[in-house]
Amino acid sequence: MRDYWLSKLFFDLQSPPLAEEYRAGRKKVLDRYPLKPAVRAAVESNDVAYLSTLVNPYLLRFYFLMAGMPEEDFLRRIRATAAPVAVRTGHG
Amino acid sequence: MAELAGVYASSHGPMIVRSWEKLASAEKESLTSAFSELGKRMRAARPDVLIVISPDHWVNFFIDNLPAICVGVGEAHEGPPEPWLKAFPHRSLAGHPPLAEHIVRTAIERDFEPSVSYRLALDHGFCIPLWKAGVDPLPPIVPVVFNDLEPPFPSVRRCFDWGTMLAEAVASYPGKLRVAILATGGLSHSIGEPTMGRIDEAFDRDCIRCFERGDPSALIDFLNEHLPGAGNGASEIRNWVAAHGAARGRGFELIRYDPIPDVYVGCGFASWKL
Repeated sequence: MRDYWLSKLFFDLQSPPLAEEYRAGRKKVLDRYPLKPAVRAAVESNDVAYLSTLVNPYLLRFYFLMAGMPEEDFLRRIRATAAPVAVRTGHG
Repeated sequence: MAELAGVYASSHGPMIVRSWEKLASAEKESLTSAFSELGKRMRAARPDVLIVISPDHWVNFFIDNLPAICVGVGEAHEGPPEPWLKAFPHRSLAGHPPLAEHIVRTAIERDFEPSVSYRLALDHGFCIPLWKAGVDPLPPIVPVVFNDLEPPFPSVRRCFDWGTMLAEAVASYPGKLRVAILATGGLSHSIGEPTMGRIDEAFDRDCIRCFERGDPSALIDFLNEHLPGAGNGASEIRNWVAAHGAARGRGFELIRYDPIPDVYVGCGFASWKL
């Protein structure tokens, strides 16, 4: 299930002028989106793990790249959300 | 009548452009050689029109209206909006409304229900392969957007059938045109999810073998079983399946495959002998 307004925020931030405004000061932009308090708090605290449960992964990746999180940092955080899985050994 | 003059497939990872200077020399060599051969084959086909099947990376569509498949029927399409694709040499790409409308009519007659757009922005999925393969001058483009990014996806079998229908539409088009099809995306990659950066080379090579063997049912069964575990970007192989359908499931020829870690993608390039 996607969070519509969080997804809309990330989608809209593909606009370079809005992205610039957001990087200059998040609050003014965030105030225009009716985000649930927990979602807004997760945005404000760069909570990759929580946000990853609410939006399409491509939009998530775009958002943190746009927001200036270093790639290594994003990779570390998103990989930390992985559940342990069995190793697949072949495809038959 | 129109003629299907060529069918091709190409990866389109953004890092091919965004991170080009940071790629290892072997990675650059692999991509340069693959795009060069792809371009050579595409130019040899002398297409008057190019049907390009690619996903939309959240450029035209959002979750308030997300078509499974959309055909661009407009006279012109916009160039890529990504800021890092400013050097792409076309801000506007010509469409081919008569062929696009014929494809839509044929689709409806065959019980498909495509959406249509009179103005699409063609993102990196469309433009990186066209640019890097040196398809210049660009023939008019009929863009066909497959939703490979956000579930629910069109089924793999439906994508194969779409390709079959596209070939029928080309064959029945009442005009003398040479038409080529380019499918872009894949092979395995993972973006914005816990496995980000992982390339499933075993999956990719098994997938390529399925294309080479030709048998559509075996390919579809393989993908139904293994696509979900090959990373979200592997979903774009649906576009290759449509190309395979257009080629009647025969003649797949791998141009090059290399897993390229700095691009995050198992990069594959192919054409079909018609």
